[in-house]
Amino acid sequence: MILDLDVDSGLAAVDAIHHRVVASSDAVRNGPQFLADVRARMKLAPVCLSGELAMPHARTNAVSRLVVGIARTVGPLAFDAEHPAVRFIFLLGTPKAAVTEYLQAVAALARFFRSPSARARLLEAPDEAEFRAVLSGSAAALR
Amino acid sequence: MKAETEPTGVLMRRLLRLLRWRVWIQERLQPTEWQVTLMWAAVAGFLGALTSIVFLTLTERAHDWFGNSRLGVVESMQRLPWWGCLLVPTVGGALAGIVLKFGQRLTRAQSSTDYMEAIVIGNGNVPVRGSLVKSAAALFSIASGGSIGREGPLVQLAAVVASSLGRWRKFSPPQLRLLVACGAAAGIASAYNAPIAGSFFVAEIILGTIAMESLGPLVVSAVSATLTVQVLTSAHVLYRVPSFQQVSAWEMPGYIMLGIIVGVLAPVFLLSLKHAENFFVSLKLPLIARLATGGLIVGAIAINVPEVTGNGYSVVVDIVNGRLMWVSIVGIFACKWLATMASFGSGAPGGVFTPSLFMGAGSGLLFGTMLHHFFPSAAVDPRAFALVGMGAFLSAATHAPVMAVILLFEMTLSYDIILPLLLCSVIAYYTSKGLKGTSLYSEILKRKAAAAPDPTLGEGRVADMMRPNPPTLSANAQFAEIARAFLNVRVNNIYVVDPEGKYVGVVALHDIKPYLAEPDLAELVIARDILRDDFPTVAPDQPLTEALAGFLGVTAERLPVVDRDMLLRGSLAKGDLLLALVEKRKSPQGLPEMTAAGGVRSTSPELGDVAATTAAEAKR
Repeated sequence: MILDLDVDSGLAAVDAIHHRVVASSDAVRNGPQFLADVRARMKLAPVCLSGELAMPHARTNAVSRLVVGIARTVGPLAFDAEHPAVRFIFLLGTPKAAVTEYLQAVAALARFFRSPSARARLLEAPDEAEFRAVLSGSAAALR
Repeated sequence: MKAETEPTGVLMRRLLRLLRWRVWIQERLQPTEWQVTLMWAAVAGFLGALTSIVFLTLTERAHDWFGNSRLGVVESMQRLPWWGCLLVPTVGGALAGIVLKFGQRLTRAQSSTDYMEAIVIGNGNVPVRGSLVKSAAALFSIASGGSIGREGPLVQLAAVVASSLGRWRKFSPPQLRLLVACGAAAGIASAYNAPIAGSFFVAEIILGTIAMESLGPLVVSAVSATLTVQVLTSAHVLYRVPSFQQVSAWEMPGYIMLGIIVGVLAPVFLLSLKHAENFFVSLKLPLIARLATGGLIVGAIAINVPEVTGNGYSVVVDIVNGRLMWVSIVGIFACKWLATMASFGSGAPGGVFTPSLFMGAGSGLLFGTMLHHFFPSAAVDPRAFALVGMGAFLSAATHAPVMAVILLFEMTLSYDIILPLLLCSVIAYYTSKGLKGTSLYSEILKRKAAAAPDPTLGEGRVADMMRPNPPTLSANAQFAEIARAFLNVRVNNIYVVDPEGKYVGVVALHDIKPYLAEPDLAELVIARDILRDDFPTVAPDQPLTEALAGFLGVTAERLPVVDRDMLLRGSLAKGDLLLALVEKRKSPQGLPEMTAAGGVRSTSPELGDVAATTAAEAKR
């Protein structure tokens, strides 16, 4: 998780989060492949769910289970041409067979970010623990 | 988030709402492929019954014209002067010949019209023009008093309607064959007001199996046809018979003997028809002259014995109701045999199914009367022997005892004779089968099977059953496109292909169903994100038996057919595969075989009376 991401493009943001995920998760079998798959997916179609949320993702055999890397930018980020003010980036990697898990994760995040107050609480979270608590509480509420 | 009032967002929400409704309806109301098959079977039955009613009406009108009266065939023949008896069947035969002769010009390029061939060794395609020509010819030979059954054209017409229906709906070959079989069942059911026998007739003799995959649609079709006939006409029990006393144990030996006698007589009858056919062929007469000659012989016999004309229905009714003396039956029996040989041998289109019932009734009554004369307690009522003889003769002639018993029961609704009927039919079947391995039409079907390889047997491959052009999506298709595709086609899985048409995977409705209320996903998800690339596939050159394994472990109704270059060639439906495997269970050479349960499994799709004449024509 990166709460003070300061980059100038979507690709740079993905690289940074990917780097953190590879360093911290044993579920990534092949880091370069994971990154390549995410970038390939980004070229095919937009990965932003709204003006504030980007969700670069890939279904790839480079991960053994669902992995999520999270970042909050220090200010509005021009993730791509259509999304100039992204604040949250969730990097998702799911094994190829895990269609259901992928859809569950994406749907849960989409539901969460529909709430303006939840978005505000995430923006205001001072540290990783608080950020995680907001997300976990919302996830529990969603369940 | 994008504003909900944005046009694309609103559109997406509507689309997803529609898809949610579609899934809801599908889960609760939408029929499975089998239910759809049953629905079309019912439609085929309904249409088959309508064609039967039209044909019977036309036959009656034509007969009114030929006989110059509105009486039955036998009654009007009785009123005609001697020259009229000669003239009517002769002219009818000639007209039938003219129709066939000139009809050949219309049907030259077409394949065989035989519906049995279409079901057993064909692709279910029954040519329309050829069938209409043959039925029109049958109309003349039947209406003019030919000693031939009218059930054949009824079944043929019902089958051709079913075949046209299936082709219109672009059915796969196994489905089309099944639908034609449903048409045939509807034809029999309408002709005899016998839905169970109609179903078993096709199942036992043509398909050679009573597996529910095929029997279910046959039953639905036969019931639909029978209901239609009952509603639109004054259909009733075909043979009204008196009630008989419960058969005593003392009578059973007599019925066993009747079974043996009829079991011998039926193959002799069939052999005589074959000889008659060969005789007429040896005359080398032109088609019109040959059919006119057959009619002339029938007419000549009818001058003194008018009961020989027609299919024998009215005489059978008189026999089983005891209205004919045994002495007169001896003469009628012999003359009817000759007349049927003349009609059938000359190639008159029609059938010998009902004439077979006559032969059984006649032989049963004669034997019962003789037994009663010497041992009254061994044959209390000779009329019961006539009734049992009908079923036994049919069993011996068709090698389908189950169908014969059911048909007789449905035609008479007489349960009193069920025990001797069962026993006698089985004994007649074994006797006939022991003497001569072939039945009413198996010779014809063996010839046909030898002429054309059976696509359903042995070498069946996925490519034979494959349905081309399945709905596809590109890997980059947006969620809206995916939703639209599922709304447009009634499938649970849509195949994903790359720009070269190579198979990539499957998007399953089951996967996206829980998320249809999440319009936000539509902005993010594309087909590549949710496709399953581990979905089982089959290859076009894979044997069908192997392909079946592909359906294990998945609930899919269809599997993608992918060749070695990963190109998507089509889809294989589980329903088609099961039908093909059911068909494959038939024995190879068209020869019937006994099942462990004592039923008959016959591959000889030999019923339908018109088939008999088809082979005769082919031979000529």
